[in-house]
Amino acid sequence: MSKIMTVDVLSSIKGAQPSETVNKLFDVIKNAQPTNNNSSNNVNYNCVSLNDLREDVVIESPALEKQIIIENFPKEKNGYLVVSKVIED
Amino acid sequence: MDSQIKQLHQQLVNKEISCTTLVQERLELLKKNAYNTVNSLLEDSALALAAKVDAKIANGEEIGLLEGIPFGIKDVYMVQGTYTTASSDILKNYKSAYTATAIQKLLDAGAIPLVKENCDSFGHGSSSENTIFGAVKNAINPELVAGGSSGGSAVNVAKDYTVFSIGGDTGGSIRQPAGYNNIYGLKPTYGRISRYGIMAYASSTDCVGPLAKTIEDIRIVLNVMSGKDGKDQTTIASTEISEQAISNNNTIKTVGYFKNFIENEAIDPKIKADFLASIEKIKATGIEVKELDFFKSDTLVSTYYTIAMAETASNLSRLDGTNYGNRIEGENLKDTYSITRSENFSEESKRRIVGGNQVLSQGFSDEIYLKGLALRDQISANFEKDFKEVDIIISPVTPNTPPKIGDSLKDPLAMYLSDAYTVGFSLGQLPTLTVPQGTATGLQITGAKNKEQTLLKFANFLKETI
Repeated sequence: MSKIMTVDVLSSIKGAQPSETVNKLFDVIKNAQPTNNNSSNNVNYNCVSLNDLREDVVIESPALEKQIIIENFPKEKNGYLVVSKVIED
Repeated sequence: MDSQIKQLHQQLVNKEISCTTLVQERLELLKKNAYNTVNSLLEDSALALAAKVDAKIANGEEIGLLEGIPFGIKDVYMVQGTYTTASSDILKNYKSAYTATAIQKLLDAGAIPLVKENCDSFGHGSSSENTIFGAVKNAINPELVAGGSSGGSAVNVAKDYTVFSIGGDTGGSIRQPAGYNNIYGLKPTYGRISRYGIMAYASSTDCVGPLAKTIEDIRIVLNVMSGKDGKDQTTIASTEISEQAISNNNTIKTVGYFKNFIENEAIDPKIKADFLASIEKIKATGIEVKELDFFKSDTLVSTYYTIAMAETASNLSRLDGTNYGNRIEGENLKDTYSITRSENFSEESKRRIVGGNQVLSQGFSDEIYLKGLALRDQISANFEKDFKEVDIIISPVTPNTPPKIGDSLKDPLAMYLSDAYTVGFSLGQLPTLTVPQGTATGLQITGAKNKEQTLLKFANFLKETI
């Protein structure tokens, strides 16, 4: 876990480099002086109350939905859906 | 009150026009159009639905207000069985397996979807040029951009190809193209309409909203789509807005505007003059107008893009070609991921994904991302304070008129800065409506959370006043 991950690895985009344009936007934030550096998220409440959680139920997908999911799969061979070779490093 | 939906409904009920003819006419307009607004047409399903409406009318059955009304859908919404491309290479052959809640509610009300509409890829843009389907052309001057990211939706409404369209707004993507094409466009309060089934850009500001030519049509469509949804637990309860409740202004006494938006070198002098002239007209009616202090434009834009890029990097990490999308095989799984993503994402999308991973990575998150979140809190707190003093905040939609097609792609920083007047309200999760009046790109009226009724009422008032 101590390995340094560069943005091209983090983004899974070959040869990706930070953009100068975007860095200009980030510089504004670096130089900004918020009155409080810790976000307390005390204005926008978007979390759900524990009393309002939806039921944890398994819903069977309709047949059409399953069929489209299979159609969307990029590769199929002899009736099997094929993924790329997995390596561990 | 003016309403294309009501007018067409009456024509259908009176048998002055058949639904099939109505749908066919609009499909023909969409097919022939040279504005690049169409990603895919839903011709067969639209005509089948129209035939059912005609059969109901012929049988003397009552039809609902939206039944048979043709509309458009930005191509980031899931509609079962339709291509849902997000205007991207990676999803150019992707078919929705299910239907978004907001769209399902319109289908249940009988509205007929005609078209999946061109937009900036994954909502990444303010000009609808970041798309594999060709830049969308402005409805008023086709040499200019349509605005974005919901550019195809705005142009379809402006040209009467659709009666209304459903766009998505993360930092201005409904309001800015509505302004550039002189129509109405509403970004509701965050959570008022379910996000289930919209392709996620920045989940903490993504909003579903309507674009239309009249305030009444915005109200009708908003009412249908609103409401809590178990599939999006950030949704909130809301009450239906009646026509009567927005018909006259008897409650709005105080309006504010951010003086630093106007006293700024970046604003076009004509937009500034027109905006101030509109303010004078509002004052002349007896409404008190207050100047308000606000954050600098570059702070707003930078805070927004920091958060939006972080969220989109996370949301789009699922697009790796494994389960769906245009997979390009490499030597192994990791190689496949990176080739698929490198080849299939546009330059703008890659810029945002990389920027997002940059601010989320160790060493940067404290000084950029977490600071961005703290700034967002302050921006939201500022709005809370302002809405204790004023009922409405009014501002221009954009600092400038639409650029020529091609210019935004050459200068992304200018494109980001063109969002200066819209992104702050997104960070505050506030309801904001573009009205096609006051300046060349319209006016933006904003209320406190859940004050959509006040916005629509004020829009009606402005229609008579400016």
